[in-house]
Amino acid sequence: MTEENYQHIYVVIELEEGKLAPVNLEMLGKARRLLDNFNKKYKSDEKVVAILLGYNVKQISKTLIEHGADFVIYADHPKLKDVINTIYTKVIAQIAKDKEIATKISPENAKNFKKPRYMFFGADSIGRHLSSTVLVELESGLASDINKLEISDIKLTHQYKTDGKPVIYEKTLEMYRPDFSGFLWTTILCLDNKNPSIEREYHPQSCSIIPGVFEPIKPDSKRKGEVIQFSPTIDEQDLKIKILSRKIIKSEVDFDRCKAIISFGRGIKDFPEKNIKLIEDLAKQLDAEIGVSLPISKKPFAVSESISSKYMIPDRVIGTSGKKISPMLYVATGISGAMQHVEGMKDSEFVVAINPDENSPIKDECDIFIKGRMEDVIPKLIEEMKKQSLVV
Amino acid sequence: MNQLNVAVIIKLEPDFSEGNVSYNPDGTLNRADTKNTLGPHSAIAANAAFYAKVKYDAKVSVATMGPPIAETALQMAQKLSDAEELHLYSDRIFAGADTLATAETLKTGIQKMQGKMDIVFSGHRASDGETGQTGPQTAWKLGYPFFGNVLNYEVNVQNKTIRIKRLVSLQGFNDVIEEVEAPLPVFLSVDPSYKSLFNTVSQRISYEKYQKQAKIRSENYKQYLMVFNLQQLGVDPTLVGLPGSPTIVFRVERIPKGKANRQAEVLDSSNPEHIRKAIAKINEALSAMVIK
Repeated sequence: MTEENYQHIYVVIELEEGKLAPVNLEMLGKARRLLDNFNKKYKSDEKVVAILLGYNVKQISKTLIEHGADFVIYADHPKLKDVINTIYTKVIAQIAKDKEIATKISPENAKNFKKPRYMFFGADSIGRHLSSTVLVELESGLASDINKLEISDIKLTHQYKTDGKPVIYEKTLEMYRPDFSGFLWTTILCLDNKNPSIEREYHPQSCSIIPGVFEPIKPDSKRKGEVIQFSPTIDEQDLKIKILSRKIIKSEVDFDRCKAIISFGRGIKDFPEKNIKLIEDLAKQLDAEIGVSLPISKKPFAVSESISSKYMIPDRVIGTSGKKISPMLYVATGISGAMQHVEGMKDSEFVVAINPDENSPIKDECDIFIKGRMEDVIPKLIEEMKKQSLVV
Repeated sequence: MNQLNVAVIIKLEPDFSEGNVSYNPDGTLNRADTKNTLGPHSAIAANAAFYAKVKYDAKVSVATMGPPIAETALQMAQKLSDAEELHLYSDRIFAGADTLATAETLKTGIQKMQGKMDIVFSGHRASDGETGQTGPQTAWKLGYPFFGNVLNYEVNVQNKTIRIKRLVSLQGFNDVIEEVEAPLPVFLSVDPSYKSLFNTVSQRISYEKYQKQAKIRSENYKQYLMVFNLQQLGVDPTLVGLPGSPTIVFRVERIPKGKANRQAEVLDSSNPEHIRKAIAKINEALSAMVIK
């Protein structure tokens, strides 16, 4: 048995009002599959460890074990009921560095334990921030918004990391993140500095994972796992941070309300304002909610303030950086079909694409492809729709 | 002495507005032909700082790390925030930094500003890198409690406390607006939907006064600008730039085209028969819902 400084995959679990967000089970599923292969390949026995913070949360451990966790480390405290970044960051870091816990997880291998080998967070408004602060506390690197992960041995020559000499980095987590355009994949590695002049160890190798990307494993009520309680130390100064109220809001954009969703992308470019008005007309005919592709939320076109603030907003983005939807009818107009958009709409029942370019990737993601410019096609559709009586 | 000091960290980013942005034929950003500007989220953070200027007479400082050209972003942020202090951290060794190494540089710089900062603002995320990590990581290095997705805030200058409304959104749940109270100092990353509201006549008068002042100041921004290289900043060279970055970009590739998930029927929009067919199919899809 090897005695390593860095072991196991720690998965940080997120709760909202005491309930599990779906991304948690997706992260556990991915961790389980990665680690099963890892243990086979490297003849080791490392564990999937879930970190669970909250108040009265112990009973959630069972679900986590059924979905792939070998261990659940839980901290239960009234002050952990809602996520306060400062407090959560410190408690998660305490757990990640705790040698007693490492000893309980793997008694024979804990002698040299320093920190986890890998660490996963959800890429949402809790996990994105939490991963950032925890990784500063743990003094290591982080890749955000990941949608593919692999573990491999990588031979690398790097000016700083390896002082220009080839080095093999074993058991390296390859973290793939799609860029904002959705067309490029960047692989991020978190690597120790092996250059003698700036030697430094960077573990855990960590990432935040896009919700909805990985499959959970099939829950198994017979899976065995251990539940360990951790008593957190909370700084007195941090107790002064108080959550005064929490109000649930319904977004003005409600994709669940409608049977149909119509989205637009950069294809509006020739007549942005006029085209958005056309899309509004079509949406009215179909009783559809309106969505946009990610580039549109960056307000790339000059349109009136009322249109810009209504439509060119993150709330309407469909895709991995926005909402995942599954309407009966999805109409993509002027959308090329970048992967990050497709991830958000692929569960739609019936998909119509309006696009002048038959080579756009969206053609492989739709049921009917209407070839043409939206400014020509949409008026024809509306006219025809008025002729045929709708059964909506 | 109840002077409030606020700082904003900003970034020079590709300008995604039509006419300035250029895409390669394969859909990726053409960086060489795309102009640069103050990032839109940075601009919102500067607006949030200006709120403290108008409402609490705060002193505003703005900082960025980047090449010399990034001073244009500082100038633009000054025009929005009436900043009296502009910091540019510029050294070849800072280049190629990941977020951890960037946060080290920014933290060191903020600590060198005149007066201890009560609030530091950042934008939600950069439009190009999009990690959203630099804000919270700078906060943690400063030792300031971090609050993300801030929608608005009110300061109690006497008690040195702040009330914040922030947005929490998780997939599978309704959004939540959370109201938090915390002692200063704090670090706020500002939600894209942040809006400053000036309700009273006196606030609106101050708003106009400071807006004029900001315009004049930004026309003479060089008077307010301080540029720091590695040595002037006094930061540990092994903690910044490439040497201080745990992560590297190992590979950039085109995302391979996946298997076609659907077999599209291609319709020609100039053919009225095809348009009729499209609508028939759409009606069919929608009426299937009724049966389900």
